[in-house]
Amino acid sequence: MAEHSENQGHHGDGGHDDGHHVNYFKIYVILVVLFLISVAGPELGIRWVTLITAFGIAVVKANLVISNFMHLKWEKRIMKWMLASSLILMALMVAGISPDVLNHEGRNWENIAAQEAVARGLNGEDHGEGEGETEVVADAGNAGGGGFSAAGSFGTVCATCHGAGGLGDGPAGMALDPRPANFTDPAFWEDRDRERILTVIRDGAAAVGGSALMAPWGALYTEEQLEQMTDYVMEFRPN
Amino acid sequence: MADTVIDVHHHGAAGHDDHHHDQHWIVKYLWSTDHKIIAMQYMFTGMAMGVIGGFMAYVFRMQLAFPGISVPGFGQVSPGEYNALITNHGSIMIFWLAMPVLIAAFGNYLIPLMIGADDMVFPRINRLSFQIFFISVVVLLASLFVEGGGFGGAWTSYPPLSAESTYNLTTLGSTLWLTAVALEFVAFLLGGINFITTLMNSRAPGMRAYDIPMVCWMIVIASILFMLSVGPLIAGAVMLLFDQVLNTGFYDPARGGDPILWQHLFWFFGHPEVYVVLLPAIGITVDVIATFARKKLFGYKMVLYTAVATGVLSFFVWAHHQFIAGIDPRMANVFTVTTLLISVPIAEMCFVIIATLYGGSITLTTPMLWALAFMAEFLIGGVTGIFLGASGADIYFHDTYFVLAHFHYTFFPIAIIGTFCGFTYWFPKMFGRMMNETLGKIHFWGTIIPFNFIFIPLFVLGMGGQHRRIYNFQHFPELATDQMYSLRQVATIALLVMIAFQAVFVFNVVYSWLKGPKAGKNPWKANTLEWTTESPPPHGNWPPAELPNVYRGPYEYGHPDREEDYWPQNEPA
Amino acid sequence: MAHARPIATTRSATGIPTGRLAVWWVLASEVVIFGGLLGTYLMHRLGHPEWADAAAHTQTWIGALNTFVLLTSSFTAVLGHQAAERGNGKEAAKYLGFTILGALTFLVVKSFEWYNEISHGYTITANTFWSFYYTAAGLHALHVIAGAIIMGVVAVDAFRGRGLHRVELIGIYWHLVDVDWILLFHLLYIAK
Repeated sequence: MAEHSENQGHHGDGGHDDGHHVNYFKIYVILVVLFLISVAGPELGIRWVTLITAFGIAVVKANLVISNFMHLKWEKRIMKWMLASSLILMALMVAGISPDVLNHEGRNWENIAAQEAVARGLNGEDHGEGEGETEVVADAGNAGGGGFSAAGSFGTVCATCHGAGGLGDGPAGMALDPRPANFTDPAFWEDRDRERILTVIRDGAAAVGGSALMAPWGALYTEEQLEQMTDYVMEFRPN
Repeated sequence: MADTVIDVHHHGAAGHDDHHHDQHWIVKYLWSTDHKIIAMQYMFTGMAMGVIGGFMAYVFRMQLAFPGISVPGFGQVSPGEYNALITNHGSIMIFWLAMPVLIAAFGNYLIPLMIGADDMVFPRINRLSFQIFFISVVVLLASLFVEGGGFGGAWTSYPPLSAESTYNLTTLGSTLWLTAVALEFVAFLLGGINFITTLMNSRAPGMRAYDIPMVCWMIVIASILFMLSVGPLIAGAVMLLFDQVLNTGFYDPARGGDPILWQHLFWFFGHPEVYVVLLPAIGITVDVIATFARKKLFGYKMVLYTAVATGVLSFFVWAHHQFIAGIDPRMANVFTVTTLLISVPIAEMCFVIIATLYGGSITLTTPMLWALAFMAEFLIGGVTGIFLGASGADIYFHDTYFVLAHFHYTFFPIAIIGTFCGFTYWFPKMFGRMMNETLGKIHFWGTIIPFNFIFIPLFVLGMGGQHRRIYNFQHFPELATDQMYSLRQVATIALLVMIAFQAVFVFNVVYSWLKGPKAGKNPWKANTLEWTTESPPPHGNWPPAELPNVYRGPYEYGHPDREEDYWPQNEPA
Repeated sequence: MAHARPIATTRSATGIPTGRLAVWWVLASEVVIFGGLLGTYLMHRLGHPEWADAAAHTQTWIGALNTFVLLTSSFTAVLGHQAAERGNGKEAAKYLGFTILGALTFLVVKSFEWYNEISHGYTITANTFWSFYYTAAGLHALHVIAGAIIMGVVAVDAFRGRGLHRVELIGIYWHLVDVDWILLFHLLYIAK
């Protein structure tokens, strides 16, 4: 290999002058014909014909391009091995992942949300048919999303610590020190006004000298949404 | 083009040097295409990131051992900050310390020198690779200071926590974090292609496949592993980015997506990634051990084949990270078997190293101590992995500090010990001066002993049921006992001691760089080609007319027919 | 740093020119990126029979037109390579120009198609099928754009008779873009 080293590399065009003179036009015509068959296949409306014309022809076409146009046919064996092994690797990856992702139930588990999504879709509820139907909003808590509601945001965001009833008894709040505020406790409201609640929701309790455990939420909501959430919290205030 | 090549031959060594001296320092050190300069850029950026990652570890270890304390140099740690600290500690140590130093820095420095070439085959792509890497560093650091704070969803970044800003509260931080990781991948893809092509094509005349020093092989195998494993994750990261920014539902089951998919794509990359950083570290160790045992490496081909076998197997073990994530139990069986299988090639490498040491005339220099420590400590990491690889035992151990201690016993030897081993071994070549051995040994023991004091208590705590990623254990009475707290404090104090001893290293580097004795060409009397040129090597590594030819393998130590106990690769028979 | 090329770049221990070797490795990394994405799509598609409804709204004829355009541009790319092998830089540049034209046609058709779909409410968030559709086709379109730009640079050089070996390299990349599209076309448009 040492002998090669002087003049290879620069004129890559001379790199594999092993005299393969393909009729590129012939291959191009074959490719176009295959392409027409694959487009015509589904028009017959027979499922297995579609699958054969779709995937069988895709593989044949890809193979023709790779071996002739890309000259892999004449390339050193090591490159063929390399490309083949990356393809095999992908096949094995899919084989390893698909038991979990392709299926929606297994031996001891089921993916209820995905099953419901399939059922909804098959009933024709949300596959984006028709004009104007655009976004499926994930949940009410999304900043800037169309479906904001103060109650919904409280339910997804605040209630994990403060509890759905504002009693400071949410599941994640049980372990915190200090405990999350109980909005129904009159003592809580003694030194608090609406302005302060708004500030704490927006900037976190640390901004007014409270516990850093109450996180700032200003980055996620618009000012108007923060106002609405403040109003929602104010409703817990005992009269 | 052909004439420019001839041009090189007409330049003498001196001409080359002059050519470089009148360059502005910015061009010379920041805009250089010289592989050695780029290697140093990677090395020092990586080490600086290591300091930042170490500082993060210090802050959250203080919080865990002394909850609520105002940490000197940081202040009180809030839960959000705690999450951001552990997330970025993990990301930095793997993506911005282990990868740039072990692969990019050593790869850039050593591959051209060890195969007798004057540079990489794509010097400008090499420079581009570092520039993209540097941007990724800037983006990552910026993500820590944006509104809402740094991303806190762990380096594994599982959705829906990482995808929904209502859950993670870091709208901008998580997107920037993901962007930084993506840029880092691009940098290493470019670098990896360069390493692979250089090793395949630009070897010195006469250097056959089995004459290549092991560390070069390992870095190139690691680059191939990285390239083949990262692809699906790049696709997955684009999907996660769209989930974050455009509100798509790739990982939301209610909308037809699947959160488990991310775990699969992540670990399909994440597990080979362990071997991506492990293999270069083993390569460094093997080279150092052969040199200081003055013995031919036992079973060169066996090491090479086991490295390839490790690489292939490493693609088929990924789901052992997900045993309790609800994956198909039949797959769990398959992945348990492959996971336990992969210990075989790694054990083989340990035996090769022991066989190389056996009967050698060993000199315990600082790099040799690091190399031996690497094997000893990595062994503990490997053996504890057997428990975790068995899906039954993993149900209990999953996400406890046992796991944490296990992977620190693998990653610390890889990223820290491996780096120190290579750095101290090639320091004379890089800077032309010898390091101080006494200081080196103080630093060695001052790092290794505290290291074990940090992580052995964590094994105990993990077996006691202590879960990872908990901000304050006082909230869990069964985890807040006095015994558990004293173990946590042992670990934290050991960490402080270890960090303090790193000052010795910094002092040693600066002092030796300025005042150390001149190293000469070949201070360790090693065989490989980098020791045949000046220290530090000039631009172009060798005068163009004197580029070496190779006549034998890299580990011909103690040949019976020779007076000298080493036999450089470039010496005609 | 416009100094002489390193001697390393002139060596070829494998017998494959360095540039082509590197392009093959780039291709290997592309195979796993697209492989990961398409494999993921395939798994989801098989697990979600209801996506057939959404997939029925892709416009087969526009997709078919684009497939034909890319096939033809691949053909001109290989003719360019043939010309470069004969040392005819001007002709190679001409064929590369045709290929770039194909790329531009592809992009124009694509943006028309997307405009049409988005205005009918099939946006990237409409449904996870559409998310995959836009992500996969978008990733491919990025490759088309990148390829067209690089090809422009190569064509200008080739016209001046420089770097003729690059005509082959960009061609190999372009054929990969073509193969990717063939797979995408069959997955997203044909196999509904």
